[in-house]
Amino acid sequence: MILDLHAHSIKSDDGRAKVQNYCQWIKTRNIAIDGFVLTEHRQFDDESDYSQLAQKHGLTILKGAEVETEYGHVLVFGVTQALQEAFDFSDIHLPLAKVLAACETHNAVAVPCHPGRKRVGMAAHLDEFGIPAGVRIVEVFNGGSRGDEDAVAHALAEEQSYMGIGGSDAHIVSHIGRCATEFPQQINNETELVAALQEGNFHALKLNQEA
Amino acid sequence: MSDETGPIDVEALRDKFLNVVFDEYELTLDAEKLADYATACGETAAKFTDPQDPDFQAPPTIGSSFQPKVRYPEGFPTFRGLGMDAGKAVAPDKPMRPGVPITVRTHMHDIYTKTGRSGRMVFFVNRMEFSNSGEILGTADTSVVIREKPQT
Amino acid sequence: MSINTLDDVEFGENLPAFQPDTSLANVKRFAVAAGWNTPRFTDHEAARREGLPGALVPGIMSQGFLSAMIHRWAPSAEVRLVDTIFRAPCVVDETYHINGVVTDIDEEAGEVEIDLTVTNDAQETRVFGTAKVLIQGTD
Repeated sequence: MILDLHAHSIKSDDGRAKVQNYCQWIKTRNIAIDGFVLTEHRQFDDESDYSQLAQKHGLTILKGAEVETEYGHVLVFGVTQALQEAFDFSDIHLPLAKVLAACETHNAVAVPCHPGRKRVGMAAHLDEFGIPAGVRIVEVFNGGSRGDEDAVAHALAEEQSYMGIGGSDAHIVSHIGRCATEFPQQINNETELVAALQEGNFHALKLNQEA
Repeated sequence: MSDETGPIDVEALRDKFLNVVFDEYELTLDAEKLADYATACGETAAKFTDPQDPDFQAPPTIGSSFQPKVRYPEGFPTFRGLGMDAGKAVAPDKPMRPGVPITVRTHMHDIYTKTGRSGRMVFFVNRMEFSNSGEILGTADTSVVIREKPQT
Repeated sequence: MSINTLDDVEFGENLPAFQPDTSLANVKRFAVAAGWNTPRFTDHEAARREGLPGALVPGIMSQGFLSAMIHRWAPSAEVRLVDTIFRAPCVVDETYHINGVVTDIDEEAGEVEIDLTVTNDAQETRVFGTAKVLIQGTD
């Protein structure tokens, strides 16, 4: 199963895509993904229910979040009420250690995203803060990467023996599915996604799309 | 803008400055400049590139080029750091034409923060509203981000 | 194909991409017309002294390129919104591509939503956004 693990909708301040249009786009353009995870900036979208939309289009639509730490941005999968009470998702100065510990406690997974990016990626902060303990997975393919950002991410992952995921970081409809993550099993919900990530049997993909 | 030391309370700024018009002026567009603007952008339709066209008008994104005479409301604090355009949204309602007086009013529409490597990024959204004799011609939002240097 | 009515528009269709003229002379012409005639946009050396990679194509000019693409595709389209986010600078005299694709059609309102991007030769997105345009129906 192929999931795009990093996408934003109009719920994010810089997102311009409606979720139904993501679905329509994937089907119309035959994008080679089976679903996607909405990772809105600094929030978990409690209120939206995309189950009917997912069923209509035969896609898996899951929800996570993208939070902000001193090491840059971090995707969080397996968000529960308890996890939301463990730290403030809207805090722009979260300590990464706190996010990782809370995820560990509440059976969630934290993944530093676009780690090769200036300012908002983990690699940019290693000189200052050192290698953070507890990171197991980083995003090695990001659809919004420029220059050598993905190469830096791959090098970091190899050096630190991190596993790698892929996500489009889509903010507009036509960017969904540029990068994704392939799992051997079917994933139907956030709990299964967390289990699959913890299991470690997955790999990142960069998908070529017809212009 | 006024200088401050210590961290600036963005919530207090929202309470004080949001939705208050802080700049207003009138302008009139010049036909030749409008044609140059459109042609440089790659417009090919005569209504944008030929001042003699009976339907000649400004290209729809022209409102983004207008700038307030005053960038911030009086008493607004100085954020230390480099300011950059983060985005622009222009929403034309009616065509703007040369020789027609246009009133430009600006208010602060939003202020919010995001993280940066060594401090906050503060986003301001200024909204300009364009009108002629009370008729709204459109709006343009400008988002400016300041990579705030740590306050000392 | 030139779009005349809403019936001609298909979800997922690409607008005709074009390479804009980002030469120093053309950007200068734009900057003068727009009242944005500052060295940051018209002088590579001065821009580099500011710490920039070179003279920049103004963001508002990128908006103009994107709007022009819409008119080339649908000459009678009424642009109601161009909403752009500047992710990375576009540098004068470098090659860029102006792209658009239809991502929503509201037949009742006669409104079409378009994803907009400015990309470089490496397919990196420098500017992205959306446009909303009104296109007349067949009646």
